[in-house]
Amino acid sequence: MTRQEPSNRFTGASRYVLDDELAKIVNISMALEMPLLLKGEPGTGKTMLAHAIAEALGMPLIVLNVKSSMKLVEALYQYDTLTRLNDSRFGDSKRDVSRIEDYIRMGKIGQAFTAETRTVLLIDEIDKADTDFQDDMLDVLDQMEFDIIEIDKTVSARHRPVIIITSNAKKDLSDPFLGRCNFHHIAFPDGDTMRRILRVHFPSLDKDLLEQSIAVFYRMRQIDGIEKRPATRELINWIRALQADPDCKPAQIGKGEPPYLGVLFKKSQDYQRAREAAARRRL
Amino acid sequence: MFIDFFYKLRDLGVQVSPTAFLTLHRALAMGLVGSLEDFYTASRSILVKSERYFDLFDQVFAHHFKGADMPDPKGLELDELARSMLEHWLQQPQELARLLGMDEKALKKLTPEQLLEYFKERLKEQTEAHHGGSKWIGTGGYSPVGHSGYHPGGMRVGGASGGKSAVKVALERRYKDYSQDGPLTQALVGEALKRLRHMAPSGPKDRLNIDKTIYQTTKNGGEIELVFDRDLKDKLKVILAIDNGGWSMDPFIPVVQTVFDYARSQFKELKTFFFHNTIYDTLWGDPARYRKPQRIAEFARLDPETRLVIVGDASMAPYELMATDGSIYAEERSGRPSIECLLFLAQAFRRSVWLNPKPAETWAYTRTISAIREIFPMFELTIEGLEKAVSRLMQK
Repeated sequence: MTRQEPSNRFTGASRYVLDDELAKIVNISMALEMPLLLKGEPGTGKTMLAHAIAEALGMPLIVLNVKSSMKLVEALYQYDTLTRLNDSRFGDSKRDVSRIEDYIRMGKIGQAFTAETRTVLLIDEIDKADTDFQDDMLDVLDQMEFDIIEIDKTVSARHRPVIIITSNAKKDLSDPFLGRCNFHHIAFPDGDTMRRILRVHFPSLDKDLLEQSIAVFYRMRQIDGIEKRPATRELINWIRALQADPDCKPAQIGKGEPPYLGVLFKKSQDYQRAREAAARRRL
Repeated sequence: MFIDFFYKLRDLGVQVSPTAFLTLHRALAMGLVGSLEDFYTASRSILVKSERYFDLFDQVFAHHFKGADMPDPKGLELDELARSMLEHWLQQPQELARLLGMDEKALKKLTPEQLLEYFKERLKEQTEAHHGGSKWIGTGGYSPVGHSGYHPGGMRVGGASGGKSAVKVALERRYKDYSQDGPLTQALVGEALKRLRHMAPSGPKDRLNIDKTIYQTTKNGGEIELVFDRDLKDKLKVILAIDNGGWSMDPFIPVVQTVFDYARSQFKELKTFFFHNTIYDTLWGDPARYRKPQRIAEFARLDPETRLVIVGDASMAPYELMATDGSIYAEERSGRPSIECLLFLAQAFRRSVWLNPKPAETWAYTRTISAIREIFPMFELTIEGLEKAVSRLMQK
């Protein structure tokens, strides 16, 4: 249990706007050596945070994208039987067919454990996997080691990775899982934070365009009955679209139907509703 | 250290495990926490594992370290309702002044908090009439659908907390929108609706059981005997009608949407309709209640075994329910009072329930709720209420 050196503290990265609260939580989780579980609306920067931490701390980032059909062992290692069979038949590779170890490939968690330096391990969208996967994985992350059954060898972590786990889940994760994580919920940024975020992404953005698009964006988020409300990601893409259009004048965005609604609303029903609302209220 | 704080959290239902509490102490021992602000962030991220408890945590924190009021679950709903009404009215200060019987100038002097207090006082005097008295909601004048721009389901966020004290941050109650005070939680809805799906087979016996047929036929010495089984498919048909109109349902819409979202994945045959306050001749297939009208008269042709589930607060001005042309929408005036339409539905579908997100102890104070309860069995939109509703729907 070592204290973090000041240089090892996370204070934000070039493309990510971090509030103090979140920075503190990241630092505490790193010091306590506990995984940090992040929840929040899609598009609020959960995944971005891991990228930002990796960038700020100068650590390599390893991303494990969880899929619903995934087995834990896939995240740990893979035994490449097919290559071994191939090698044993044709014998033209440099690998030693009798050494099974040559055919073990590390999965994402395995890579994080065996890496030369400390890494940031992002486990993205954990909620997609079933509960057993989640619990078993936490066991591995707790022990910081796993067994490779085929060669009867235990892989222990050389450096304990900084673990960030994201979840979009409506339902809560299991209690034992939650018990082993620190938790933070990324709330949707307010207007001021949003301005700072956009400044980071578009340093040379026209001020009128910025103010107009933020104002219209927040009004559009409030339209009733929208299934998937546009989030930061959509706003950034929208501004990109507005910038790319030479005919777009900032003053015109709020009048009539806002341009490129499809960038903000991606479900056809939402799109329709947004158009109607725009027609009715002159967003 | 902070044992009181720990037990207070537990008492109020924040599920804090002793392990998490020890982890917090580990963080303290490591010198990671240098101020009350640090303690707030550290304790929240270590102790609280779901955003639903963030609001409760904020309140306990503010209470413990500053002596703020302890959360009072009873006051919350009134608070929400009052706030959403007030937000709506603040856009029409003249209207508000008239309704509160105050001068517009005097009104402007009040801070929003004072106004809210004053308003709540008035509201308490009139709990029954907050939908009834036409003055109070002003249904006569304008549609209360009010796209007021305020949406309680929306997020309120403090953003960067630099410079503010932790107690102040806690007092802001930024996570109120995620709180568990809503009648139902996501996890529970799925559980309860599953019960609807796990039903005994109800289809006709129309599937040939070949093994049994061969057995019986041989037993009969060659005389063919066909053995049929029930088709084991879940035959349950459900019609879900949701009150999604106006601000009187606004505090509950996130909850209703939860039910709705889950319902969609739980049933194979589910029709969802929308209405505002009560049902007249038409239900709407689209949430905007505009594009896809569905006349309820045609429901008579549907399978009477269909389960009808209505979700709504059943709170409105009495004339909306009783009067011949009660609808607040001119185009819905049909010459039949809503209560007759409801009766018709209750007769068309023998098994129907009404789920009300308002707490049951307040039902007696609203006349329209009492009237509708005589037609539909009404249950609270809570896990217990839902369980009762489900067993009611399953009754023979």
